[in-house]
Amino acid sequence: MSDGPPDPEVIARILAGDGEAFGVLIRRYEPGLLRFATRMLGDPDAAADAVAESLVRAYRHLAQCRDPARLRSWLYRITGNRCRSHLARRGSGDLSLDDANPPAVADAADTWVTLERGEQVALVERALAALSPEKREAFVLKHVEGMSYDEMAAATGARIPTLKMRVHRAREALLEALEELV
Amino acid sequence: MTLIDVRLQEALDGDRDPATLPADLREAYERLVRAAVMLRDAPVASVADRVMTEVRRAPAHPAPGVARRLAGWLAEPRAFTVRLRPLWTLALAAALGAVLFLPGEESVAPGAEEGIAQFVGHFPGARSVDVVGSFNDWRPGALPLRDEDHDGIWHGAVVLPAGQHEYMFVVDGERWVADPLAGRYVDDGFGGGRQNAVLIVRP
Repeated sequence: MSDGPPDPEVIARILAGDGEAFGVLIRRYEPGLLRFATRMLGDPDAAADAVAESLVRAYRHLAQCRDPARLRSWLYRITGNRCRSHLARRGSGDLSLDDANPPAVADAADTWVTLERGEQVALVERALAALSPEKREAFVLKHVEGMSYDEMAAATGARIPTLKMRVHRAREALLEALEELV
Repeated sequence: MTLIDVRLQEALDGDRDPATLPADLREAYERLVRAAVMLRDAPVASVADRVMTEVRRAPAHPAPGVARRLAGWLAEPRAFTVRLRPLWTLALAAALGAVLFLPGEESVAPGAEEGIAQFVGHFPGARSVDVVGSFNDWRPGALPLRDEDHDGIWHGAVVLPAGQHEYMFVVDGERWVADPLAGRYVDDGFGGGRQNAVLIVRP
């Protein structure tokens, strides 16, 4: 939690009619939500749209946030749903490699350590994009957003054993993809 | 797909000190951690201005128009009409008839495009039960139910515009419960399979 009034206090102000206080919540959670949506969709523009739509929806339905102390999970849930809708409209849950960032330039002589950082990032992004949306979401929430399994359960609605299995499978797939360049 | 060693999974879950991993597993551990760190760097332009523009256009919380309208409806004596509900709900309502058809509510007369929605729920031991819904901005306190004889049967009625509305009961200010007597439900739109009850108000 960043500095400033706690979420339940900010929510109470908004529900009492102070709409400008929603800016506090945007500043607090927007960076993580944008990062999450970008990793889910592989497209910064689509991610920005998804997060903007999610935040507006969250504002309109703020009184439905049943546990203001867990606002963060609630926002990730709305954003995750929006990302899934976007992927469904696109016709495939798996990101096409063309949709992700450009492929790294690697040849047989390359190893992980000889690649430039940008190329390494592109490789990781491609490996992530090849995961199913469920595994991608689980890995990103766990290892990129740093959530506990409890928070992930609140953010996805999935059960903790299911989430652990998704994270484990995602790790295996990513490790296998990245091992090609040992 | 290659299964990876359970010790590596434990270390990545924070349940094992990575320093205790053998060299090959530690290398894999560091590779995955490095990958996650790389994924944290995802610069995307802020959408704060876009969102706040929409927020300023949206009705403030609480929606003053709805609140004033409801207050007006409730303050004025009107004739009483009963919204159609599933059969066994009607049976329960009939059993409660003496309570439900209060003198103040008998004279309620909704407008041509309005109807009265009545809510009944059995919540023994509850200290309070509110109805929140799309018609009151999901705001607890706007529509409290009553249990005058303390038998755990809470009830209340409100005039609503004709059409479909979503609602939930909020028990003791914190437990959200879909009306078990509602004939129809819809997904609440926030994932997790939770559902809002649906009522249809007929003019």
